[in-house]
Amino acid sequence: MKKIAVIWLVLLFFTGAALVSAAKRQPMEELKGPIQRGIAILKDPEFKDDREAQREKIWDLIQNVFDFKAVSIRALARNWRMLSPEQREVFTEEFTELLKNNYLDRIQGEFQDEEVVFEEQDMLSEDKAVVRTKVIRKNVETPIEYRVHLKDGRWRVYDVNIEGVSLVQNYRKQFNEILAKEKPEQLIQRLKEKNKAHAEERQKKG
Amino acid sequence: MKTFFIYTSMLLALCININGFKPNHARAADPADSGEISIYETDQEYEALMEELAEDEGEAEAVQIADPLYYWNKGVYHFNDRLYFWVMKPVTRGYKAVTPQFLRTGLSNFFNNLGTPVRFVNNLLQGRSEQAGVELGRFMVNTVAGGLGFWDVAKYESPLRNRPNEEDLGQTLGVWGVGNGFYIVWPVLGPSTLRDSVGRVGDSPLYPLFYVDSTGTIIAAEAVDQVNDLSFRLGDYESLKESALDPYTAIRDAYLQSRREQIRK
Repeated sequence: MKKIAVIWLVLLFFTGAALVSAAKRQPMEELKGPIQRGIAILKDPEFKDDREAQREKIWDLIQNVFDFKAVSIRALARNWRMLSPEQREVFTEEFTELLKNNYLDRIQGEFQDEEVVFEEQDMLSEDKAVVRTKVIRKNVETPIEYRVHLKDGRWRVYDVNIEGVSLVQNYRKQFNEILAKEKPEQLIQRLKEKNKAHAEERQKKG
Repeated sequence: MKTFFIYTSMLLALCININGFKPNHARAADPADSGEISIYETDQEYEALMEELAEDEGEAEAVQIADPLYYWNKGVYHFNDRLYFWVMKPVTRGYKAVTPQFLRTGLSNFFNNLGTPVRFVNNLLQGRSEQAGVELGRFMVNTVAGGLGFWDVAKYESPLRNRPNEEDLGQTLGVWGVGNGFYIVWPVLGPSTLRDSVGRVGDSPLYPLFYVDSTGTIIAAEAVDQVNDLSFRLGDYESLKESALDPYTAIRDAYLQSRREQIRK
């Protein structure tokens, strides 16, 4: 009887520990998987002639790693309140599309034998962390930091910092400047036009 | 180099004068910071974020800058943009196509080695004696054994393996607590601030090319340095510009943010 009780205790302990570790997954570990899969897709010769397919495949990965709503709110900061709920939704959608286009163009266009080194993670608080990586290209090393927060039990990126330049802060400055002179509607219109031009450009190429 | 020196200091003097007038276009004001917000709904995420942003308000301050020369800057920005697309980019592409990789890397090492005195002195001025020592060691090894710096042989010596961070007088002044002043875009040289422009002029006597007597040689050497350097970074400017909704503001902010980071390191 005593033996059974001990076994139960041990079992309980282990499942408990397993549950805790699932909830407290490490931010760096959580980023590593998708990024490495992304690199594998970029290097996969199968996609050499079908860049649109490669694009969508990588996008599937990125979508699960980035928290685009958080990126949008942070980029607008206090201006977020100037937007109506509908405008916020459209803005988030269009801004996400812009980031998607820039990011994918960049990595699809330039990825040649680069290597991503995961250096370390720093916990900023219980639910915020920085994951430091380095991209090594020929003899140039570029430090890239991902700011992540815990959302619905998963670590997701809300800002990217390349050589000390925060993406969110850079857009915040631009949006401030634009919204000082224009209405939110016009800002959204600008985003839409930029995305449309990009889609047309891609169609021409593809 | 001497003409460059005179030209730069004249323009700088001019800038300081203009700054004295401060047109009503001093654009440090940040609409988002004025606090005028119409409230539509209470968003928990938003509230938490505003708290966080308020906490590092001081940090945000550091990348705020006055832009009293806005019209001049914007004009020069357009000039530089054209210079890039019409001249620099095609020239660099041609150069990259005909120049083998090892030669480009070698030239990059060579010019980097020439920049040692500037970095060495500024490391000392910032009290970074260890970095200064690494600079000195690398300079001696690479100049003597690396063909005047063409080969980075110092990287095989473990204490000298890594290139220390870039340091210049603008950063030194920043470490000493001197603020950016205002933003200024120079023809050809690009984005800068009052502090960094002063730093640049102050650094120039430490650059060996400063003492070459023939202006033609200096211009040629500078051109090779620029083009060679650009050959490693082709596409960066395009994607920065392409990703921006307001490229002028995006570039200004990227410059300020990266300088702040350099001063920190």
